[in-house]
Amino acid sequence: MIDALGLIFTDGFDVQLDALTERRTVASIPFAGRYRLIDFPLSNLANSGVRNIGIIVKKNYQSLMDHIRGGAEWDLNLRFTGLTFLPPFSSVTSEEPDVYKNRLDALAANTSFLRYHKEKYVIMMGSDFIWNEDLEDFYEAHIASGAKMTALYTKEAFKKNPETESTFVVTDSTGKITRQIISNQKPDGAFYSMNTYIMERAALLELLESRHKTGIRSLRRDVIAKMIENGEANSYEAKGKVFHIDSLEAYLRSSLDMLSRPNRMSLFGNEDRPILTHIMDSAPTKYGKNAKVTNSIIADGAVIEGEVRNCIIFRNVKVEEGAVVENSVIMNDTLISRGAHINYCVLDKNIIIGDDRWLSGYITHPFYSKRSSVI
Amino acid sequence: MKKKKCIAMLLAGGQGSRLMPLTDKIAKPAVPFGSRYRIIDFPLSNCANSGIDTVGVLTQYQPLELNDYLGNGTPWGMNLTYGGLHILPPYQASEGSDWFKGTANAIYQNIRFIERYNPEYVLILSGDHIYKMDYNAMLEDHIKNDADCTIAVIDVPLEEASRFGIMNTDKKGRITEFEEKPKQPKSTHASMGVYIFSTDKLIKYLIEDEADKSSSNDFGKNIIPKMLADGQRMFAYVFKGYWRDVGTLESYWAANMDAIEMPEDEPEKLVLNDPAWRIYYRHDSARPQYIGENAKLSNSMIGGACNIDGEVDHSIIFNNVVVENGAFIKDSIVMDGAVIKSGARVEYAIIDYDVVIGENASVGGPKEGGAMSVVAKGISLPAGKTVASGEKITKKEAE
Repeated sequence: MIDALGLIFTDGFDVQLDALTERRTVASIPFAGRYRLIDFPLSNLANSGVRNIGIIVKKNYQSLMDHIRGGAEWDLNLRFTGLTFLPPFSSVTSEEPDVYKNRLDALAANTSFLRYHKEKYVIMMGSDFIWNEDLEDFYEAHIASGAKMTALYTKEAFKKNPETESTFVVTDSTGKITRQIISNQKPDGAFYSMNTYIMERAALLELLESRHKTGIRSLRRDVIAKMIENGEANSYEAKGKVFHIDSLEAYLRSSLDMLSRPNRMSLFGNEDRPILTHIMDSAPTKYGKNAKVTNSIIADGAVIEGEVRNCIIFRNVKVEEGAVVENSVIMNDTLISRGAHINYCVLDKNIIIGDDRWLSGYITHPFYSKRSSVI
Repeated sequence: MKKKKCIAMLLAGGQGSRLMPLTDKIAKPAVPFGSRYRIIDFPLSNCANSGIDTVGVLTQYQPLELNDYLGNGTPWGMNLTYGGLHILPPYQASEGSDWFKGTANAIYQNIRFIERYNPEYVLILSGDHIYKMDYNAMLEDHIKNDADCTIAVIDVPLEEASRFGIMNTDKKGRITEFEEKPKQPKSTHASMGVYIFSTDKLIKYLIEDEADKSSSNDFGKNIIPKMLADGQRMFAYVFKGYWRDVGTLESYWAANMDAIEMPEDEPEKLVLNDPAWRIYYRHDSARPQYIGENAKLSNSMIGGACNIDGEVDHSIIFNNVVVENGAFIKDSIVMDGAVIKSGARVEYAIIDYDVVIGENASVGGPKEGGAMSVVAKGISLPAGKTVASGEKITKKEAE
């Protein structure tokens, strides 16, 4: 049994997704037809036996709360344990609510949650990585290593958004982390840190409670860096395929990568560790008399009467007869009317594409339309 | 005592022998329908959408899978502290114990459940039909008529009326006569097996019926005729909308095919994705379906986690089904976990759970002029094997 508390950061502290996150957290970005990004860290924790999970939210978290509700889909609607939403504490008198600037701020604001629960360890993670991991193995490897902290990393080579910084780690042959580099470019010989850490709850609390005395301000730059310097940080390589969403291009690429069977099976093929998500009671997918569909993922509730190639189609999307949709991601409730032609687009929720509209981007520059627009 | 205005009692113990082999190991209400649903989702969702949150489900035949499916009623919003969904199996008592002898006896044995909620009205349902119905509208009618019992009826074609229980009514809708499968029907009002009783009258007649040793303890055969003979206020509530009996393999197949149609706001059609009247169901964690490079899909409905790379025409495919490149499926129902291998043909057939149809095997034949074929749960049909039109493969030895 895993004796650890889970903490999920729902905002991207170092990703830029502009339009996609204009009105939602990174954690609530829709993915692969029926999921949202939070489903991956949340399912990973729940499937590994973590029963107390804190979800740290900052702003625009209405859609995330709708999605998770009481956590029933993850079997986390339990009597004594389960999910806790951790929104920012704001005082009535201050004009600006006291909103966290970084992960350490967010953790420091939630020391009461960390103090209240009695698990020995804490596993912290963000919401911008998409993968399926048995965290019990990660947990056991951490305990066996005797390290103070273990960080998860991947060797996957992402196309990075050059405008954002990522965390990289260099390890020695024993797996000990020797160096941490925060940069826009991947240094040779370094691996991507997934910003997923395990350490003792008491140790984390102590760090947070003494932060005014010690002057630490950043989880990565002060806390993690210090542990690496002291030779107390171990590394653990993520199993299976890892995807990272740090830009609209990465979003479209990672989405279309789901059309390859090995990628799909790596995320969704493990019967013991299903990725779970919010239930909608949509009707099953329907195909009309003249539908033509190839190489696509189609969610329930969708009605397809036109042509769909190389696409990710979300719930309750309607593609009318005579419409053609290719190489695109079409989110919930969007309507593609007859004669329309869509190529390399990311269409957000509840959009109406009128008759005969032609919209096209390119793989490196997807055309994005924001939710509820009418074209 | 806290009370509920109306609770429902759902008769779910039927064997469904005419649906064999689909009902070999599961009760009829648990038989899958329309890519993701079970038959019982329809009456339960109707309850949820009508504001009836307390339902006693009477089980008897092969209840394991049904009980698992119902759980604590969460999918229908019935996991309540007061009320909610309750499974009511037959039980032992200090003085004798019995299976449910008939529909009326099943309710009689659970009078104490009804009394616990002290409702003014009791809705009696069965798990045999596919329909979407607002029971609340029927209840309002019952109250307006100051009725003792209201029976939902649907107009059927006159030539088919002799297959149903027919209600003859006066101009105000009051039932004057009830005829079970009449040779010369006088009306086209067929009973849907949906009743609302005022609770005191229901309990009175159930107790009297139980005392009558000659009774077969059945609502249609005993309770309704007795109440009519006593001059109780009994009304017909005419339901307009989609309603199908799925008691035979043929009618079950036809109702499934109705779900494929794409009606736009036609009340007489089966609309499954109406946001105002959702049909709720228990979910598994199925990922979305993947449609492959060689797939050809038309006029079909497909469930989650499927991998479709063959040709599917006018068919219902459930969750976790694999249709390989070069396989062909037409006019068929393929249930959870089935694998249709390359080159296999399935036509006018029902393929039950976890069946494997081997390479180049063939099941059934053209619907026109042919009979339906069935391959029962768990059977692996070897490569090249042929199952003739109308043949039902139910035994493992058939492999």
